[in-house]
Formats: sequence, structure tokens, C-alpha cells
Amino acid sequence: MLFNSYVYLLWFLPVALLVYFLLGRRARWSVVWLVLASLFFYGFWNPHYLPLIVSSIAANFGISLLLRRFPARRMPLLSIGVGGNLTLLGVFKYADFFLDSTAGITGAAPPVLHIVLPLGISFFTFTQIAYLVDVSRGMAKEPSLANYALFVTFFPHLLAGPILHHSEMMPQFASASNKRPHAPHRAAGLFLLAIGLVKKVFLADQLAPLADAGFAQPEQLSLLGAWLAVLAYTLQIYFDFSGYTDMALGAALLFNIRMPPNFDSPYRARNLRDFWLRWHMTLSRFLRDYLYVPLGGNRHGWARTARNVLITFSLGGLWHGAAWTFVVWGMLHGLGVVAVRLWGRTGVRLPYGLAWGLTFLFVMVTWVFFRARTMADALAMLRAMVGLAQAPFRVSDLLALDTSAAISAVVVVAALAIVAAGKNSNALVATFKPDWRTALFTGSALVLAVLQFARVSPFLYFNF
Amino acid sequence: MKSESAPAVYRRARRWVSAVLLLVVSSLAAVGGFNWHVDPFQQYRLASKYPPRFYSLHHRYVGPGLAKNAVYDTVLSGSSIMENTRNGFIGRACGGTAINLSMPAMSAFEQRVMLETALRERPLRRVLMVLDFNQFAGGAEERQEIAGPFPTHLYDRNPFNDVAYLLSGDVLEKSLAIVAGDLSDSSTALRIVRADAKDSFTADPDAPWFWGERKRFARDKVLRDLDLTRLNQRFAQPARALAAMQRSFTHNLAPLFAAHPTVTFDILWPPYSILVWLDFARRDQLDLTLAFKRFVLDATREIPHVRIFDFQAEERITHDLDRYTDIYHFDPAVNEWMIAAACSGTHRVSDEREALAAERQLRSQVDAIRAPEGLAAFISGAARSR
Repeated sequence: MLFNSYVYLLWFLPVALLVYFLLGRRARWSVVWLVLASLFFYGFWNPHYLPLIVSSIAANFGISLLLRRFPARRMPLLSIGVGGNLTLLGVFKYADFFLDSTAGITGAAPPVLHIVLPLGISFFTFTQIAYLVDVSRGMAKEPSLANYALFVTFFPHLLAGPILHHSEMMPQFASASNKRPHAPHRAAGLFLLAIGLVKKVFLADQLAPLADAGFAQPEQLSLLGAWLAVLAYTLQIYFDFSGYTDMALGAALLFNIRMPPNFDSPYRARNLRDFWLRWHMTLSRFLRDYLYVPLGGNRHGWARTARNVLITFSLGGLWHGAAWTFVVWGMLHGLGVVAVRLWGRTGVRLPYGLAWGLTFLFVMVTWVFFRARTMADALAMLRAMVGLAQAPFRVSDLLALDTSAAISAVVVVAALAIVAAGKNSNALVATFKPDWRTALFTGSALVLAVLQFARVSPFLYFNF
Repeated sequence: MKSESAPAVYRRARRWVSAVLLLVVSSLAAVGGFNWHVDPFQQYRLASKYPPRFYSLHHRYVGPGLAKNAVYDTVLSGSSIMENTRNGFIGRACGGTAINLSMPAMSAFEQRVMLETALRERPLRRVLMVLDFNQFAGGAEERQEIAGPFPTHLYDRNPFNDVAYLLSGDVLEKSLAIVAGDLSDSSTALRIVRADAKDSFTADPDAPWFWGERKRFARDKVLRDLDLTRLNQRFAQPARALAAMQRSFTHNLAPLFAAHPTVTFDILWPPYSILVWLDFARRDQLDLTLAFKRFVLDATREIPHVRIFDFQAEERITHDLDRYTDIYHFDPAVNEWMIAAACSGTHRVSDEREALAAERQLRSQVDAIRAPEGLAAFISGAARSR
């Protein structure tokens, strides 16, 4: 179920909220209801994967109980738990990738499994790995299966994060007062939901045609067309993902649950380390705590630190998608972060404008690998960006590719202005006041966004 | 400045939430009510309050409305080649009351969904199914991507998914345009009002999809800009494989025959220009295409209420480029000739012997123009007659 859909906004969310608070006096039932609602939310797209997530939760909860009961057998139990989660991820997300890559090396025709990726598997496996690790360290314990199941399945974060940490969520799920309606939370939640919808529907979705048109034929783009397409994607992915996160945080707040923010104006970062403290912050936190630090972090000299950074970012890239383009994207960011660390050792501080410009440029160029369908497409786009495309393509042609692409060109400018100078969602919700202006904005945004959900697509073949 | 007390904060927040919800609910109710009242895609009733608009780019949206609300006992279902067929003509030729539910570049799945809607809504006597080979390309539930997401919510009677219609901003735009009286001159009501615009439409309930009067059907038109080395350049052909085509037929159309034994299903193979068959032959699609036709015959031969009519070797049509506007689309008179022939029982192929005879005839026609000199003679003959 998508956040920006009728079924979610007009049926699912109101019913889930209503029943949750109706059951509020019986806190345990509220939690059970929310777990069931979340599983319904998850299974709405494809119920065939419900058994997968349910058994994953049951298995991980069982192992967490065993870890607490048999602390002496911590390592083998933890290995089974983490190994099981990684195997699940490996089979469902990476099997085709590994088979294909192996075949590329051996030259044999790859067996293609065509496994459909279960929604949110990367998120719910990482969440549970972190929980098991912390239980094994004695830093976590959750005796209630219902609370644990809710921690994993809570629908606002289930499909695309933020990646939650048990320490910030379990007390909230256990709190009885959170099961009672709290008007200020409801107001702030609605406000955040509206901001997210505006970002998604009126910015990201309007930028998509321009980015899609450019990345569909990178070899035909002119220098300007290529930069425009990449810039459009740079803005699209930010507004899409951060808009989604705002909707998730807003929905959670309606249930009196505060989830951690995932973005903090990342395109204003002055270097790549700063960028990763602002972009997909909960993933950065996870990778730092459960991969980079266990690898040794920065404790063993700069060479080992650089190695750890590269491993962390490469695996982080692979986590985003089972393709070499994602690995290259991660490695480039890893190299960038290493370069920033080395530069830091010189003690030379770049002027803010220059530092920001270099960072934004680097992030933008590396998105090419993230968005391109294949490595060849990525290289074609990079060639176009330095003016080496075979068949130069005018910007006007790019705009003509889709009727709404001209609009998206205007949106590029607006989006850039927002990214550069606008208050971000965290700041907006922190200073939120329930007055007539915010009411008008929220109400109008919700109405206008809902009206955009179902488009009437013209049949453009009618040109014979 | 005095800060608000906690109860005041709560009261204010509660009022704010109520105001927002009131704004949202009342606005959406107003939009939904307005779209329901104007009903641009005729989902709840045939247009009566305002002149109808049959949008030339939105067959997949208007078609189900017509299927649900019009009165008919005969359906014509085909791709863009059948759009130039008037309901009245079908009714006269076949007896009864007919409706043309054709869709451009229709896939077999889309045809099935449309026909299921019609068969569910009305007691039908006859379905005229004009089949294209491309509609069976791809997966069994292939949809025409170029037409955007298929609006399945319009093909059922489930009121809960109507929100996607009633609360669509695009539908609202159309409702507003209708109420604003975009039809500036009632005398043009039966014609294309804005032919070159994104929102072009006709207003003739008898010929909702008719475009024949706006196109020229002539040899020079067909041959102009035609690359003789790449005949399919303008009509990108999806990859076709016999097994997939058979699967699609079995999955989409065969169940309709089994489920509706009292309905006569007439399958029509339409007369493309001979250049289409030459293109098939050049791209090694000829044998596959003819094998598929044999498969359809085999699959339906034992079903008494399914009949096949084959017009594809009709040389006086397929070799006369003056009857075409491009290598696929023939003039409206050909549509009427086909419908009349099917309803009077001529051109029927009822056994393997007749099918093979038609196939041999078609192959020999293709062979005649397959060699460069044969094509040159065909083209120059065409040129001479201009």
C-alpha cells in the first residue's frame, strides 16, 4: 500500500487510527490491533510474503529469548540469528545478482531465478539484526512478542524506513499514555503528512518525467540535457525519499509515536561526512554502529580507517540494490569520505561556498550510478555530461519528450530554491503552530494531493 | 507574553485538527459530488445533462462507462482499425442494437476485461471480435503501457474504488470544461471539436471513436515517408512468440467462449495492406503469424457459437493502397464491408481445408512482392495509378 494512495489515506489510516484509540483503554489490544493493521498494510500488495515476515519476526524473537536465557552460548546463537537474516536477504534480494555476477566471471549462462523482492525486506532484516546484536550485548530485552512484532512491522516505517532502533521505540510502544488521543500530536502529524505529500506529489513526481526521459536515452543527450536530467533526478530522489519519510513520521505521530528523522537538509552539506550525517540518517547510524565500528572504525590508523570506510560504503551501496551500479555508487562515496578525512588532516578549511559546491557536485554526479539501469547507461550519461555524446540532443527535445516535462523544468528551479533556502520538515514541525495559516496549508495540500493520485493517462499512440 | 496553558494548547490543537478535517472532507465531497454529477466518462449514466464527449485519447476510460450504461445486444471489439465503425451500421447489418467498444492498440487482456464488462452488464446476442496479432504479444495479462495504467476500477460495479474516478483532478478538469460549455458551437457537436488538442473528442454517440473523416485514404499518403526497407518503422512491433500468443488467447479469450454459450462470437481477421504481410515475412513473423491463425481455428473449431471470418487474402482490398491511410488502417467502407460480410456469413472459415486455402493464397501474394522486383512492380503500379 502506498502512502500516496486513496486506499491508504481515505480508508486504511483513518480506520487504523480510530480502532487504535477506541481500544486505548486496553493498551495490549491497541498494540495487537496495530500489528494486525500493519500486516494488512504489508500484505495488501502481495499477501504471499506475509508468511515470510511473520516467520522472520517469530524466529528473531525466539532467538532473542534464547540469547537472554543462554548468555554463555551468545556467539553461536547470534551467528545463527544474523546468518539467518542475511541468508533471507541474500536469497530474496541478491540471488540473481550473485548468479549473474558469477556467470559473468565464468562465462556460463546464468540461471535466472526471477525471485520477486519482498517489500521492505532490507529494512526489516536490518532492524532485527540490530536488535539481536544488542540483545547479545545485554543492551536490549523485550519480553512482549506483540511489542516486538509492532517494533518490526509498525506500518509507517515498514517499507522504506526510517530504520528504527529498539531503544527509541520500545518504550513508546509500551507506554499506556500513548494509546490515548493527543491533539497536539495529531495536529503536528497531519501537518507533517501534508508536507510529505506536497514533496512527493508536487515536487518529486513532477521532476520524474524529466529525469526519466534523460536516463532513458543517455547516449543521445547533449551536455546541457544531461546535466538537467541528472539535476532533476538529484532533486527528485531527495523530495521523493524525504517526502515519504515525512509521511511516515507524520503517520506515526498520529499514533503518538515519534520516529527518528531521516533527513536534515542534506544538499546543504559542506562535505561528504556532513552529507551522510544528513542523508538517510538512520541508515548511516546503522552502518556506523553495526558495521563500521565492529570493523574497527577509526581506531587502528588511517589505512585501516580508510579500508573500513570503503567496506562500509560499498556494502551500504549494495544494500540499496542488487546491482554493480549501486556498489560503484557506494564505493565512490566511500572514496569521497576517505578523501574528506585526508583533507581534514591538512588543516586547510575551504570557504563554505566552494566546499558546498564541490560536495553537491560530487553527490549529483554519483547519483548517475544510482539511477542508471546499467553500468553502460551510467557511463553514457557521464560522457554526455562532459559533452561527448554521439548524437547531441537539445534541451528543448528533452522537454518535449513528455507533456509534463516542461512543467518539471519549472519545478526544478522551485525545488532548488527550497533545497537551498527553505526550512526543512524537521524545522517546520518543530516550530509548528496550529493557526489558520497552517490549517489552510495542511487542508489544501491534502486535498490537492489526493486529487493527483489518479491520473487520466492520455493514449499518445493516436498519431498515425 | 503569557504562554498558553496545557488545556488551551489541547483545545487549540483539537480545533485545528477539526478545521483541517472539515476542509478536507468538505472539499473532497464537493469534488466527488461535482464529478459524479457531470460524469465525463459516463460511468453512472449516459451523458444527458451535457453533450457527450468521447475523448479520442481515453477509450479505456469512456468505454467501460458505455459498456455499463448503453443499451445494446451486439458488441464490436477491435483495435484502432475498427474505430471507424458506426453503431447504427452494425445494428442494421447484424440486426439488433450495437455498440463499438474498440480501443486503439488493445491488448488481449484489455479486450477481455472490456468484453467481460459488456457480457456482465447486458444480455448479448453477438460479439464481433476483430483480432490483431500484436494484441497477443507479451505476457498473458499484458497491458498497453503507452496508454498509462489500465483503469480497472472503471470496469466493475464496486462503489469503493470509484474514489479514483470521483476524486481525480484530471476528471475534475474535464468536468469543469464540460460545465464551462467548451462546446462553443452546437453545430460542431457531431464533429471533432479540437482535433489537435490533448483533449480532443467527438460528440456523436453513434460514432464515438470515428476519425475516418479526418484522414486521407490514398496511395500517396500511404507511400509518403514510408521506408520500404523498414516497413514497420512507424508501427513498432512488439516481439511475438507463438507459445506466448497461444497462452494469451487461451488465457484471455477462450474463457469467454466457454462462459457464454448463448452468445455468438464472430472472430474477424482484418485485411491489412499486403505491405504488412511483406513486413511480417521480412522479419520472420509470417510463419508464426499463420501458425497462430491455425491455432485459433483449432481452438475454436469444436465450439458451435464461435465463427471465424478471414479477410486477409482479399486482394482487391489489400493490394489497393487507395483504401488505406497507412499500411494498417483501411477506410471506413472496409469496416462496413467486413461487418456486413460477417453478419451475412460470407468469408467464413470453418475447417482446415478452407483455412489452408486462404493461407496458401496469402503466401503466394506475399511471395509475389517479396522479391525486390516484385515490390518495385507493386510500388510502381501504385505510383502509376496516382
